[in-house]
Amino acid sequence: MMWRPVWGIIEREMVRMLRQRGRLVSTAVRPLIWLVVIGSGFNAMLGHIGSYSYHQFLVPGLLGMVMLFGAMLVSLTVVYDKEFGVMRLLITAPLPHYWIVVAKVISGAVVAVVQAAAFALLLAPFGYVGSEVSIGLLLLGLVATALACASLGIVFAVWSSTLDNFAVVMNFVIFPVFFLSGALYPVQKLPDVLKFVAVINPFTYGVDLLKHALLGSAAPLSGTDFGVLIDVAVLLGFTVGATFIACLRFSHESAAGLLQFLQTR
Amino acid sequence: MTGNNTSLQTAPEAKIAIQTIGLCKDYGSLRAVDKLDLEVPEGQFFGLLGPNGSGKTTTIHMLTTLARPTQGQAFVAGHDVRREGVAVRREIGLVFQESALDRTLTVAENLRFAGLLRNLPTAVIRQRSDELLDLFRLSDRRDKPVATLSGGMRRALDMARGVMHHPRLLFLDEPTLGLDVPSRRGIWRFIERLRRDEGITVFLTTHYLEEAEECHQVAFLAKGKMIGSGAPKALVQSLGTYMVEIESEHIETIIASLSRRLGPCLQDGTKASFRIQEEQFDFLDLQAELGNRVQSVRWRRPNLNDVFLWINDPNLSGSVVV
Repeated sequence: MMWRPVWGIIEREMVRMLRQRGRLVSTAVRPLIWLVVIGSGFNAMLGHIGSYSYHQFLVPGLLGMVMLFGAMLVSLTVVYDKEFGVMRLLITAPLPHYWIVVAKVISGAVVAVVQAAAFALLLAPFGYVGSEVSIGLLLLGLVATALACASLGIVFAVWSSTLDNFAVVMNFVIFPVFFLSGALYPVQKLPDVLKFVAVINPFTYGVDLLKHALLGSAAPLSGTDFGVLIDVAVLLGFTVGATFIACLRFSHESAAGLLQFLQTR
Repeated sequence: MTGNNTSLQTAPEAKIAIQTIGLCKDYGSLRAVDKLDLEVPEGQFFGLLGPNGSGKTTTIHMLTTLARPTQGQAFVAGHDVRREGVAVRREIGLVFQESALDRTLTVAENLRFAGLLRNLPTAVIRQRSDELLDLFRLSDRRDKPVATLSGGMRRALDMARGVMHHPRLLFLDEPTLGLDVPSRRGIWRFIERLRRDEGITVFLTTHYLEEAEECHQVAFLAKGKMIGSGAPKALVQSLGTYMVEIESEHIETIIASLSRRLGPCLQDGTKASFRIQEEQFDFLDLQAELGNRVQSVRWRRPNLNDVFLWINDPNLSGSVVV
């Protein structure tokens, strides 16, 4: 099996995450600013949504945000690796090239889950995390959302040859994906056009799954829009599809290798 | 090890480590490598030489499965580079022109990462890292970030990374490019020790031709085509015993009078260089003949650079057989 090379790639991303202090700090500060500034503003205007404060409503979306940025930054390392030559080390390793894409998606997801879990623990003592938290569902939500974010990032990363290129793309991806996802407001209350965009945005289902986990699905006004099963199916389906496309793009060999791999299953 | 080497050399058929048959690579309308035929026996130190842009790196990229050949075939350690990419990559180590190290990681972490990518168990990685850091004199830098290493140390670490998994073949693409003279010497010593201690086949490219004189066999590339090959010593000897370089304002008249006696020459502006075949050549006689018509006259032993220049000059084609 390919577990050692895959572990090597994951380990490298973990080491880099812990070593780049600035990146680690901004990962926590960015959503905190949202929580304190935007959260307090909307809270004052809206008061409670169902039995929850707007702050509590916002937390699932912010966990999603942590993962969106965390996973995207790992995807960015694909472009970084291309620019600094490490990619040549990866593609001359004795493993089929699609494993590199798969390992990067897993690393992105692992890094994102670790960061989001740490953020959730940071918020819990301040009462921002609701009392009806379902731990199992939360873990599922974190993992599934992280995988979807990582695979979304990888698709853009394999198409970008320079860091500048990738930065531009990310600005046009991260913010629309975040704003049009139900992270800030329930999807069912959006106008039709925006609702349509939200429905085809995989991140919406991640945020929704996290709302199920943190807010509970009992209260109709708590803001969940879809069922848990639909959320999980969409997130995993998107992950598989996006990773597959990224593998096809990554090299001729990976395309051929992946088809061979699927045939031998 | 030495015993093994001798028996390999005396064996009637040494195994072939690298073989290419009519290998071509096109980039758009540019033919980077043109119908290349190479054969490198196992254990050999092989040099692919030529100026920048002659197709050396493209050839290495094809042999290491980084680029797909447009036409022709290539086998590395018995595996087809097109169809058995993973098998080829398992057998080879590779040191690139530019460093492939992660600057955010330490020296030891870079080796660990490379080892894990090569599917080595952690205990083996630890032991092999110690051994290689010792060989490449990096033991005291083990836990320093790569960003703090000098150019020569980075290249040394790149080489250590390339041989972590005891490859049967090591590809070195311009291993001394951009290094100062002491670092270059250090790198050559490391290559020598790797060959001696580990008995690996080394496939080298360089445009510092004089550095390739230690190779068992070299091949010259120019504009993607192989223009000559052989053992460096034999190639240099076949050129002549001395090279005479003459610089003069009246170079055309000098060439006209000398070429009858010394044969064709290599001309570059006001300079001409002739080959001398006799061991006991009378240089004083030549000096007297040239008199005060010259800026400078100089004779020296030929080297691989001369071999390349002579076989690559279209006016001289056919006059040098390699």
